[in-house]
Amino acid sequence: MTFSGALTLTDLNDFITPSQACIKPVEQTNGIVPERDGGAASTEIRVDSTGSYYEVSASDPKADSGTQRKLQTAEISLNDCLACSGCITSAESVLISMQSHTEVLNFLANNPEDICLSHKVPVISIAPQSLASLAASISSSSKAQPVSLQQVYRRVEAFCTKVLGFQHVYDTTFARHLALLEHTREYKERKRGDGQLPMLASACPGWICYVEKTHAEMLPFISRTKSPQQVMGTLVKEWLGSKWGKTPSQIYHVTVMPCYDKKLEASRQDFYNDVYATRDVDCVITTGELELMMREKDWSLSTPVEGENDDRLPHGFLTDDSRGSGAAKFDGDDLPELITHPGTSSGSYLHSLINAIVHESPSALGLNMRAVRAPDYEEYILSEKATGDIVFRGAKCYGFRNLQNLVRKVGRDAGVQVGRGAAGRAAGVRGRVVRKKADGSAAPETKYDYVEVMACPGGCVNGGGQLRPPTYLRDGTDEEGYKRDWDVSGVKFDDDDSPGKIQPAKWSDREWTKKVEVAYWSDLPTPPPSPKLGAELESGSASLHVGEKTLEAERLAARVLAETCHPEGNAPRLWTDNMDEAAEELRRKHFRTQYHAVESEVVGLAVKW
Amino acid sequence: MEVDLLAGIREIADLPGHDDRAWHIAWNPTRPILASCSADKTVRMYAYSVSAPEYPDPKFMHTVTIPTGHTKTVRALAWSPSGKTLATASFDSNIGIWEQEEGNDEDGEKGEWECMSLLEGHETECKSVAYSSTGTLLASCSRDKTVWIWEVHPDADFECMGVLMEHSQDVKCVAWHPKEEILASASYDDTIKLYLDDPTDDWFCAATLSGHGSTVWTLAWEPDNGRYFASGSDDQTIRIWRRLPGQGELKFETVAILEGHDRSVYSISWTKAPATNQSEEEGKNSLGWLASTGGDGSILIWEITETTSGGEASPKIEYKIMARLDSAHGVHDVNTVAWCPKAGIEGVFATAGDDGHVKVWRLDPIPA
Repeated sequence: MTFSGALTLTDLNDFITPSQACIKPVEQTNGIVPERDGGAASTEIRVDSTGSYYEVSASDPKADSGTQRKLQTAEISLNDCLACSGCITSAESVLISMQSHTEVLNFLANNPEDICLSHKVPVISIAPQSLASLAASISSSSKAQPVSLQQVYRRVEAFCTKVLGFQHVYDTTFARHLALLEHTREYKERKRGDGQLPMLASACPGWICYVEKTHAEMLPFISRTKSPQQVMGTLVKEWLGSKWGKTPSQIYHVTVMPCYDKKLEASRQDFYNDVYATRDVDCVITTGELELMMREKDWSLSTPVEGENDDRLPHGFLTDDSRGSGAAKFDGDDLPELITHPGTSSGSYLHSLINAIVHESPSALGLNMRAVRAPDYEEYILSEKATGDIVFRGAKCYGFRNLQNLVRKVGRDAGVQVGRGAAGRAAGVRGRVVRKKADGSAAPETKYDYVEVMACPGGCVNGGGQLRPPTYLRDGTDEEGYKRDWDVSGVKFDDDDSPGKIQPAKWSDREWTKKVEVAYWSDLPTPPPSPKLGAELESGSASLHVGEKTLEAERLAARVLAETCHPEGNAPRLWTDNMDEAAEELRRKHFRTQYHAVESEVVGLAVKW
Repeated sequence: MEVDLLAGIREIADLPGHDDRAWHIAWNPTRPILASCSADKTVRMYAYSVSAPEYPDPKFMHTVTIPTGHTKTVRALAWSPSGKTLATASFDSNIGIWEQEEGNDEDGEKGEWECMSLLEGHETECKSVAYSSTGTLLASCSRDKTVWIWEVHPDADFECMGVLMEHSQDVKCVAWHPKEEILASASYDDTIKLYLDDPTDDWFCAATLSGHGSTVWTLAWEPDNGRYFASGSDDQTIRIWRRLPGQGELKFETVAILEGHDRSVYSISWTKAPATNQSEEEGKNSLGWLASTGGDGSILIWEITETTSGGEASPKIEYKIMARLDSAHGVHDVNTVAWCPKAGIEGVFATAGDDGHVKVWRLDPIPA
């Protein structure tokens, strides 16, 4: 609508706030030159051929070289934009691209030899959801049996070490194990009264960004436990680094994630080490970027590698041998591989909590599950089998739409004024009129104790950085009827050309996510297709039982706790053991973080058009 | 322009009171209430009556001004089909849900209007809000390019059913099909999008309609069965879209382009023609009256008919201007036009303008 002829200057707050306003104040570092001629402009700005700006004093215009000063370029970093929710979409997409596979390749190409003091140890950690996406992509492009996560992991490991030059390759499931242990510990603290319930999961950076920007009142409910990515950063730079005799700044740590927002998470100031000027995670690349690197290097992930069906036991930890030599053996760097946490492919936070509660309950408990709306919003209730009393009420809540309803429910149950919106709180809105029921009965208790929150529908296996479904699935052609090379599976399908196929495309996207989900849970290795390669491999190799692997992870977790927190007295035998205050402080420092509300009061008057 | 007009437009009420431009009006579907909203952040309500037989035109009386508490312009209004709930869309990015308190029995008066709920989620200015025909769904749209669909629950509670990020620009208007759960949205990106509910999943965009040369400001469904809808645009035209037959698909095509405005078409409203006014011609089917208004300050009333000529597969759409009024709000833009839905009061509609006034008009047939 056009403004009326009688345009008034009152109530400028009603002007439409431009969504691209940048409120970051640029600090003035140039000294002010005292004015000489009051009437004339004191300085003028010149631009040279390189694009640099110069301030030239008018007092002596003939002597250019003597009086002109190069002005400092104003820079806005990714962290500055994280502090503002104004133009976050476009700025984030530009700055996110600065963390790219090109950055990784540049680092590896320029890393000095390992005998140099400035050499950095390159380490890469891979999320299991990324492995599932790669596995689904391989399985859909070949006639072979579906490949397991372990097979994909070994092939990726071979690529990273032989082709890219990484010295250490890990998956993030052991870090997730630590995160789950600390998560459960934090929940118990809150249950005792130290903190608010429901506790909401904090592993999803998309969810964290959203809460910090628009629902700051939800922050007290967010778990402070670090995400598996950041726990992995702590493990690599603090714990493994000390084993290698390296400082955090002497390690370059890359993670492979299903999600672009993990790049933002890695860039948070909370995960920056001021002492060593380094981050827990130096660079995050997505599943798609890793696959792109493989294509650029002509590496076929469909080709089996030697030993991909073997379980690699962490030898050094089974026997608890002490290493008097002090030299870091390779065996000592191994972590338990691909630990399976029953529950969800997004991390099993809710199910781990349920298992812990059931395990520690003195009486028998029963579990009921109810789908609130499709599989992306489910409620889980634990109750006493004898009395029916409810002892725990949790939910799994995925997708932006379900988050809206969750925020409203949590806010309503806690009596918190929900949301202020990007445009500020609506002042003066009167509270809801409480309508008493005719029979005066209270509403049934429906408050949650815990919610596993993920921003993507379907969870992390459907993250934005995952591989897209192959084109033939969208065309409706059966994978048996038409073969296509796996390396073009990332080609984007142009839906605009065929509006009539919107429904099939929508179907295949959802079906593809199911394939990735299935690949995620296939932890049983299968024999390779080629008889020749099979002959070369060891026969009869047995998988390490899931229970044994978890038990091994428990022991290693206690060891990590002892070696990073330095408790007085006896070393903890379990993660749940209490230590002295200084050690507990270190535990919080290494495995917890914090969140910050982002203010975005963009006033119309301050906007420069 | 020399046009054989069939009717004149007569002003029957002028309702000042807003301190700033009046953006939108909404007639209560079950009670004799007309609500208006404004850049002054208030909602005004007028009661109307037709009690006196010697005065056949309804009389309007201001009953209440709701301060709302919105921190910015109240841009749009929508009544629920029950007439008990009013939704307000504001530039402060919130949707307010309003209900009236139960009145004191002794006084016989109704209570105050209370904000029962505040729907938050949009990031920028909300532009439009609409209830579905059953009142179970509420749609809202915003400059943040999203369309939200809410499910109405008891006690003014709402559940988010879908966040649709299909448009590439500001979304100006949302409108529900009169009978089915089909939602249409109009946008600054020159397109109209149609949404359906997938029972196994979220709401999704089922069709994108192009054709307008500029911003699409407004939508109106043909009120009887929704086989057609109309759209008004910055390109100064109104397009009539017809739904093509087909199972499982949602396809529309432009069947008429109505030209007559000199500036942007900001608002259109489609009503059924009174039975007595319908043409007796053989093979002609009345689709009703379409009112349009916009930046030129004119109000046009179009008569839309459907002709089933012998042999042709599809009916032909005919339209003509049956009434025209220029400078309806003086020199100011007219932001909204809306027909009165009350049975027995034919040909009455209201407008809201940049002069802050709400005006009520009536169509008078011109003697032949």
